[in-house]
Amino acid sequence: MKFGKRLKQQIEQSLPGWRDNFLSYKELKKLVRRLISSSSSSSLEYCGGNFKAEFVYLLNNEMEKFNAFFMEQEEDFVIRHKELRQRIERVMNTLGPNGTRPSPLEYREEMAKIRKEIVNFHGEMVLLVNYSNINYTGLAKILKKFDKRTGGVLRLPFIQKVLQQPFYTTDVISKLVKECETTIDTVFPPSATKSTAGLAVPGEGIFRNTVAALLTMHDIRRGSSTYSHFSLPPLNFPDFDVIQSLQLLSPIQIP
Amino acid sequence: MPPAAFKKKYSETQSSEMEASGAMSRSLSILPSPVKEKFPQLPDSPQVTLAQELTSNIVPSFRSPCSSNQKMVGNLFSSAPGCPSGLGCSSLSPNTNRWMSSPFYSISPRDGVSFPSTQLSVSIVENNDVPWNVDAIENFLDMPLNIPVQNGPIETSTGIMSSEDRAKKTDWQDWTDQLIRVNDDALDSNWSDLLVDVDVPDPDPKLLDLPPDVSTCQPQIHQAHPHPVPSGESCPVIDSPTATSTKARMRWTPELHEVFVDAVNKLGGSEKATPKGVLKLMNVEGLTIYHVKSHLQKYRTARFKPESSEEKKSNTGSEMTSLDLETTMGITEALRLQMEVQKQLHEQLEIQRNLQLRIEEQGKHLQMIFEQQKKMEEEKLRALSNSDKHSEPSEDNHASIKDVASDVCIPVDEHPSKKETSSEAKPCKERAPDDRGCSPPMKRAKAYETVTSGASHES
Repeated sequence: MKFGKRLKQQIEQSLPGWRDNFLSYKELKKLVRRLISSSSSSSLEYCGGNFKAEFVYLLNNEMEKFNAFFMEQEEDFVIRHKELRQRIERVMNTLGPNGTRPSPLEYREEMAKIRKEIVNFHGEMVLLVNYSNINYTGLAKILKKFDKRTGGVLRLPFIQKVLQQPFYTTDVISKLVKECETTIDTVFPPSATKSTAGLAVPGEGIFRNTVAALLTMHDIRRGSSTYSHFSLPPLNFPDFDVIQSLQLLSPIQIP
Repeated sequence: MPPAAFKKKYSETQSSEMEASGAMSRSLSILPSPVKEKFPQLPDSPQVTLAQELTSNIVPSFRSPCSSNQKMVGNLFSSAPGCPSGLGCSSLSPNTNRWMSSPFYSISPRDGVSFPSTQLSVSIVENNDVPWNVDAIENFLDMPLNIPVQNGPIETSTGIMSSEDRAKKTDWQDWTDQLIRVNDDALDSNWSDLLVDVDVPDPDPKLLDLPPDVSTCQPQIHQAHPHPVPSGESCPVIDSPTATSTKARMRWTPELHEVFVDAVNKLGGSEKATPKGVLKLMNVEGLTIYHVKSHLQKYRTARFKPESSEEKKSNTGSEMTSLDLETTMGITEALRLQMEVQKQLHEQLEIQRNLQLRIEEQGKHLQMIFEQQKKMEEEKLRALSNSDKHSEPSEDNHASIKDVASDVCIPVDEHPSKKETSSEAKPCKERAPDDRGCSPPMKRAKAYETVTSGASHES
């Protein structure tokens, strides 16, 4: 139940175009519940066989959905990444101090825009990785429920397939994220003292979604009643309190 | 989804045959030569001849007549996480799975059917993976699909194929899918080793060069929505979720995009360049004009409306007029904070992903041990009932279980982990077929310790 609620929250706070592309966890869970969990093997085969087929069919549908969405986004990111870099180069080469027509005011303006864009871009990519991960988690959970209900062994082999899906292989995106971080370092002036959370607060959109994602992850991994050796250890990262406080403050737009 | 709608979807899409044969052709193109020898044995039936043709053109070009209908996969390698980006992903599995779950499945009565798939896998993978594959596959017994067991001559399957048209197509696809499945299952990281060694006639340079050469822009195409194929409703179908569009999805990697941008620039920029010209200039196998068109459109949009789309997403709304220095600083700090949070999320996601992979890896190996153990016990029983010499097998059993167990263990201390895995094998045994979580929590906790101690050891 907890995951379902958390997933729902995540979906609600996610970017508009994304909301329809998450796992239909609730529906699948309902489906699994409809299964008559019986101990006799004969009835299991009867409804188990058909049910399993239907279930697998649905899961594959979901995965196709993820794959399509993921690859679409990935493509966009690949394009935008390159464009941003080129743009930065352009701006630096023309308006920058060493450029062809240096203009401090314009330069500052442009860089400010770029900074905002690139940070948001970074955020979006990370959210895509999060999307991938949370859907994977949902699938794993659903499979576990299914196996528990039917006494089947669908989970293990199916999960192996999931691991190979495009939506789960987030290597490209992670690489882009890292490159983005490097680029950001060049674009941002060297940091002054680290300012506290009071300064800025997540508004709508990417930042808020990111904070929500982190908190969700923390919650999900806090431990459940069905802790097994397939479960992840609890999340442990610094600044958790800071992050949590970020969510509680009322949103202020970053102009 | 109500069962009625569910069945309806099956009857709608009819492209599985083409897809399967396309996919098969792709898989066949990578198979080592011993496989090829099998094919001449096949009697003449239409699909079989097709297979022969396909294998003789070891690499059917993506532009073959069926290309637009085929489910094309640029890369059949099951990707390990360390796989070069954008290269290692196979999309066959979900389709295969879907297909296997088709209610029209007509092969189930044929219990004795044995496919050569495991022969192939033996020739491809010469290690212990084979028994596991077969056994893991046997776990699907309550699915409509009868998984092939071992070593059957191809003649058997073709004999079945020649019975009736409908069955013919069914079995053919089944065999195809089995091949693909076995390939997927068995190969994992073995592919890269294999392909370096195997001498395949007429190798497709792009396909085979992939493991060693990351920078090749081998596109990956994932068939999301297959074409309806006018080959009659008889084929059990691979469904398409929303069967309206017919595009095969391309996975655009940064490298491929580079090639694209180069081509576009050579043709005078994004406005002047035409999809056809770009496609030709790029000269990437498997790329269709449709892919180029949609990508070009995205590219143009990204270039000329970057700010409006960005701002919409970041949902700020306000305009950037000339800013105060102070405000700029404030914003910069805010952005920095945002960056920090984002970085953290990403880091956590990566860690989580690695853990997930490792956990599943462990699970897989445990399953393997369990299966092997089960098999050995069966053999032991057989040996007991048949012959008098039962001391030998049991010793062998113990030896090999230990070997496997030691392979499996995360490199922690030898003894405790070995104990864990072999003691875990027993509860697994009870757990797997009757998985109601009846393993005592203690054992679970122990196994969990193994995982975490391994994790902490590694990190």
